[in-house]
Amino acid sequence: MSIIETRNLTKTYGRIEALKGVSLRVEKGQIYGLLGQNGAGKTTLIKILLGLVRRTDGEATLLGEPAGTVRVRRRVGYLPEDHQFPYYHTAYSLMDFYGSLYGVPAPVRRRRIPETLELVGIAGRMHSKIKTYSKGMKQRLGIAQALMHDPELIILDEPTDGVDPMGRKEIRELMATLKKSGHTIFLNSHLLGEVEMICDRVAILQRGQLVREGTIAELTQQKGLYVVRLAEGQSFPIEAVAQQGYTVRPLSEPPGAVEIAMHDGQTIDPVIRLLVERGLSLRHLVEQKQTLEDVFMKTVEEAEPGVDRQRRRGAARPVGGGN
Amino acid sequence: MQSFFAILKDSYREAVDGFVIYVMLGLSSVVILVVASMSFTPAEPAVAMEAIVQRFAVIFPDKGRSRVISASFENRYSASAVKPEGDGYRLRLSVTANSSRGDDPDNPQAGDSFRRTVAAWLKQPGRTVKMSDLAGKQQPTGPGGGGPPPPEIEFSFNHEATIEEQRAVTDAQMEEFLRNQFAVHAGLTASVQRRQANEPQYEFDVTTTGGSAVRGWPHTMKMFFGAVTVSEDVNLGTVLWIIEDQIINGVGGAVALLIGLIITAFFIPNMLRKGSIDLLLCKPIGRVQLLIYKYIGGLTFVFLITSFTVGGIWLAIALRSGHWDPRFLAVIPLLTFTFGIVYAVSTLIAVFTRSPIAAMIVSIGFMLFLYIVGQVKTIFDRLRLEERGDNMPQWAFTLVEILNNWLPRYKDLDKLTSKLIADGTLTEAERRTFGLASIEYPSWESTILVTLAFIAVMLALSCMRMVRRDY
Ligand SMILES: Nc1ncnc2c1ncn2[C@@H]1O[C@H](COP(=O)(O)OP(=O)(O)OP(=O)(O)O)[C@@H](O)[C@H]1O
Ligand SMILES: [Mg+2]
Repeated sequence: MSIIETRNLTKTYGRIEALKGVSLRVEKGQIYGLLGQNGAGKTTLIKILLGLVRRTDGEATLLGEPAGTVRVRRRVGYLPEDHQFPYYHTAYSLMDFYGSLYGVPAPVRRRRIPETLELVGIAGRMHSKIKTYSKGMKQRLGIAQALMHDPELIILDEPTDGVDPMGRKEIRELMATLKKSGHTIFLNSHLLGEVEMICDRVAILQRGQLVREGTIAELTQQKGLYVVRLAEGQSFPIEAVAQQGYTVRPLSEPPGAVEIAMHDGQTIDPVIRLLVERGLSLRHLVEQKQTLEDVFMKTVEEAEPGVDRQRRRGAARPVGGGN
Repeated sequence: MQSFFAILKDSYREAVDGFVIYVMLGLSSVVILVVASMSFTPAEPAVAMEAIVQRFAVIFPDKGRSRVISASFENRYSASAVKPEGDGYRLRLSVTANSSRGDDPDNPQAGDSFRRTVAAWLKQPGRTVKMSDLAGKQQPTGPGGGGPPPPEIEFSFNHEATIEEQRAVTDAQMEEFLRNQFAVHAGLTASVQRRQANEPQYEFDVTTTGGSAVRGWPHTMKMFFGAVTVSEDVNLGTVLWIIEDQIINGVGGAVALLIGLIITAFFIPNMLRKGSIDLLLCKPIGRVQLLIYKYIGGLTFVFLITSFTVGGIWLAIALRSGHWDPRFLAVIPLLTFTFGIVYAVSTLIAVFTRSPIAAMIVSIGFMLFLYIVGQVKTIFDRLRLEERGDNMPQWAFTLVEILNNWLPRYKDLDKLTSKLIADGTLTEAERRTFGLASIEYPSWESTILVTLAFIAVMLALSCMRMVRRDY
């Protein structure tokens, strides 16, 4: 049984098409990352799963039940993006309130609340009013409230938003622990480096459509791009290698290094043989891997080739949709 | 159930977070303290009885059933030889009547003013006069001063009774008259026995029960723990009525509704704010439940405030005066219910606009509107009763009727509450002279049902909107 399954999920807000037939599947025990530009529809997808937003078309199930029902919500923990906690609560009283909405019995709450707040590192301030908390502390509290009833599925919309680097590391470790104990985590994030470190599978949403999906390894793997450097003083035989059908590109950093791209069916072996034959000594040979960020950038560009490139080049993080 | 109490508790936290609630509780405490500082000392039996029998000049014809008030100042009443007996008192009541108006003063068969009074009391009133016509169009005001003017009181002047009618008055009828006067003017249960005396002098043996713990017993009232003597001859019930109805139910109720509306207007818009509502809707609770619980949370808030204030005042009164009548406590649920009307409107506006200011303005405006409709209806009813509404267009009457029938019965609830309080404090004579007995009272059932239906419609619309919306 899949923990999350959507089939052809569609959502239109008036004239804005936020989701255009998204089908994805999350299995038990995975940490699943959903990526996409601003306005791609990530939050909309999550809100449909929880029943905050009604879907226009398609199907969604959570934990084997129709998504969004009261019953299934009991088994899910959720951290919304841009959440605003009621200002009159303390962390403790808020957790107590939410815990009772989840039906957690009072003695369990008394034990779980300090434990959970300890996990996210704000137990020391749990009796202060939330209005005195910093942004990162509120975010940590948001994660804690999604965990306190020990849900099978945890949905986090930008969990590390506003959290300092140490905190982000702690949260990553926390997620790893949760995964080990059999929880499933579904998260949205813009921090691709983190997603790469923590997620098992990733999906990229682009303007309401799923454009890539797979394990991190599958997505970042790239066949046939090597960086080669020779010993000091030797120069790379660019001409000769290019004649064999490879694409060679000198790199400025490190000096003297070149990047060799394979084409269909080619391997690096003939190049090495050629270097040896010429009596050149190899100092550095690495198969180039791409980061998730590279994949993301490339995917996003590919997905909308017609887009106004002028505008996109100017903006570091392009904004899509009608936000 | 667990989530219901969780949301109530959350509403409570929200309410006590602001300072307004503390100002309100502080004011309530001051009022409770002032009431608790009052002391009431019953007058000596001899003094009290003398004071009570002086009130007998005011009579209500038709054996007390008539709406009309009549007064006869020709008889002199006096109480003497007041002695405790059983749980009450024994006394001699003398009535010195005036026979000079008789056709033939020397004729022992002629009538006198006491016989005429009793004969008039037995009959329907004769010619009557409106109070406003008497007092140069001035409106009579109750002792509290505030509130709507009571409907006009009718007076009967010439209690006409022929000599034959006067002579026909029996001893039993005189005794019945006096028993009724004791009951109406002081809430005293008395047995009356006529003694031999030469007319126009009358003598009666009276035995009362209930000691001084009766509504009409005169008291000395002091305030601020005895520092200020307010009055040496005042009915306990009258004072309590002024406090309970005029001050607390009238002024205090309006203040409580207003401040309650202001504080609770924030509850639902805050809950629905972007970023807040997600946190609640993702919990395993339905949207309708969430909204209804939140609505009840607002009511609970007002319920607690009124419970504190009214309960405190009731207790202070009971402890200081020994008046343990529970009817005043009905103000707590009734005021909460009244608040329920306007809070339902506040909820509807909050769900549609998510703006506390809009919710506040519309609900307070609605409260004023209901008040005005209630007032206009009262005036129109009187115009119609007196057949003076000819110069008003018919559609105005129809409009007010329709509004009154379809809108929640805000004014009626208020009237019924006032009646309940008056019934619990005033003597019958006071209720009549304050014009409270001649008001036409609406029925509890229709008032509550129409109001409940209105609240249900408001909440149903709110829930429909809440359920359909994407958050
Ligand atoms: N309540 C709403 N009413 C109208 N349009 C909406 C609503 N919520 C979202 N949208 C639109 O739907 C699209 C998807 O929004 P969504 O919030 O799902 O994006 P996102 O991927 O979460 O973006 P971000 O990374 O900025 O959080 C956007 O174009 C947005 O403008
Ligand atoms: Mg989002």
